[in-house]
Amino acid sequence: MSDHNCCNNNPLVPLQCKLIGITEETPDVKTFRIQCADGSKPFTPLPGQLAMISLAGIGEAMFSITAQGDDWIESAIKRVGLLTEALHSADIGDAIGVRGPYGNSFPADALKGKDLLFVGGGIGLAPVRSLILHVLKNKADYGEIDVLYGSRSYADLVFKADLFENWPKQLNTHITIDAAEDGWDGHVGFVPSYLEEKAFSPKNRACIVCGPPIMIKFSLEALERMGFAKENIITTLEMRMKCGIGKCGRCNIGSKYICLDGPVFTLSELDELPDEK
Amino acid sequence: MTQKLLLKSALPAALTALLADHAVFAPTGEAERHAFTCLSSAEASETADAVNLDGLTTISPKEILFPRSETLYGIGLENGEISTPEPTGPTVIFGVRPCDVRSIANLDCSFLEKGFVDTAYVQRRENLTIIALACKELQSPACFCDSMGGGPASAEGADIMLTETADGKAFLVSFLTAKGEAIEKLWETASVLTEPNSADTAPPPPVCTLKVDKPQDLPAKLMAAFDDPAWERLSESCLGCGTCSYICPTCYCFDIDTEISGGKAEQLRCWDCCMFSDYSRMAGGHDPRPTKKERLRNRFLHKLAYFDERHGRTLCVGCGRCIAKCPSGVDIAHVIEWGGTL
Ligand code: SF4
Ligand code: SF4
Ligand code: FES
Repeated sequence: MSDHNCCNNNPLVPLQCKLIGITEETPDVKTFRIQCADGSKPFTPLPGQLAMISLAGIGEAMFSITAQGDDWIESAIKRVGLLTEALHSADIGDAIGVRGPYGNSFPADALKGKDLLFVGGGIGLAPVRSLILHVLKNKADYGEIDVLYGSRSYADLVFKADLFENWPKQLNTHITIDAAEDGWDGHVGFVPSYLEEKAFSPKNRACIVCGPPIMIKFSLEALERMGFAKENIITTLEMRMKCGIGKCGRCNIGSKYICLDGPVFTLSELDELPDEK
Repeated sequence: MTQKLLLKSALPAALTALLADHAVFAPTGEAERHAFTCLSSAEASETADAVNLDGLTTISPKEILFPRSETLYGIGLENGEISTPEPTGPTVIFGVRPCDVRSIANLDCSFLEKGFVDTAYVQRRENLTIIALACKELQSPACFCDSMGGGPASAEGADIMLTETADGKAFLVSFLTAKGEAIEKLWETASVLTEPNSADTAPPPPVCTLKVDKPQDLPAKLMAAFDDPAWERLSESCLGCGTCSYICPTCYCFDIDTEISGGKAEQLRCWDCCMFSDYSRMAGGHDPRPTKKERLRNRFLHKLAYFDERHGRTLCVGCGRCIAKCPSGVDIAHVIEWGGTL
């Protein structure tokens, strides 16, 4: 694991880092830009990989890495518990611990030459964003790119600058919100039904799906009805994690540890695992 | 390999010799408190009283390699400074039963294999010498080590093997590894070893009375029965108390938590148990194993199928502790037998 970075060569001890940027995405999602205390980049993750993020005295948890630059990594984090609550009240310059990267990654090479359809719901756009950014950087290697994304309301859409300014210039966006609201003239409805409405052709197209479990479930079913082969449907799994290094036993599904062997799986790989997601 | 003789009357001298440059763990106490503890020099020299080599300890020796609670690191709340605990020095476990010795190979698989190496574990493991003690009599009716690939006289994983002589006055000692030979030298210097004569023989080892029919393809059979209603029945009486994994020598799941004391946040690692109701519940509330049926199934499949798929070993050495101590009569031998009939 030569690319893994931690403190004192002990994979469970975090690097001492600092927050160098905080972006409010939605009322309960913020993006945190993180750099080592000495100004260097913590590590260079592959698209889809995870980081263990901690606040001293509060705890640590695993998050997907949303983006990276020359000397930082970024994670978009939803406020759901004690640690994320504390993260949301942190300020620029605050100390933060990071170790990683963890897990496998999206098969960016195997996807070359294909049309790509990204399907996301809510905070589920966070893990796939790293791949979307990677693909846009290497656009010549990939075919047509579509992003179909939805949230409960306009306010709950994450990465609005990407969705409404940056990405429309480079790929096809299809944005939906669950219920009609004033000032929204875009699509209204749930992600899975919007997906079927759009009737994307499965020909030479791979689909990457991330979001809440229920959205994933119905989207996967919709994609199969649309004729996508299981090998061409990719998703990420979420399990509770403690160590991130395949030791604590917490994140298993069958004999796989999500922190090592996941979080990215094709639907055909998921079918091999016991139904316990 | 030659065998030496260690008279029981020379045990205090042998343990005292070890204590010169090792921490020495040996079974002490009785009944529920029968467990491996770190001997003081007084306890070593009064072996007859302190060390209790009769029977299988209630608590397994896994905590010597994997403490029930340990500090991974501390971090200063003011200055952010990281401090890591001092590594432990050379350690000997004395009088470990063959099933418990084999369980260490399981811990090794988890802590040392598949990518990452656990820093605290590898450090303790490299410093550890294992002095095993063959079972002269069966320790309990729940023992089934010889159905699980081991046996009451198995030396697998031991650095030194002790076998009690027929007259019960001494141990035949085999030094099996370089670590074992280092201790042989130490004991030679301390003049605690003698040459066995022809009368010093060990009786044939006992045979477990609990026989469990474990087929080669047990993992595949159990996986095929993932949705079998039997899991529901099996879990009905389980209280989720965690006793089974607490006393199991091979259970290694842990929790990581933070505790604040004296201006420092300590990151602690503690034993955990997959039978606890909040074990896999996520921050958002979703729980992939919401009832005891899923939790018990995960525990047994981890032991009997998943671990095998990952590491090529069964995560049970047949020590029988969980069978003897489960308050609800949940019995891994029954699960193995049932799996065999599928
Ligand atoms: S199986 Fe028995 S020992 Fe284990 S948690 Fe259930 S009741 Fe407790
Ligand atoms: S599962 Fe039970 S019998 Fe097997 S090693 Fe653990 S405590 Fe012993
Ligand atoms: S988080 Fe510990 S094994 Fe995956």
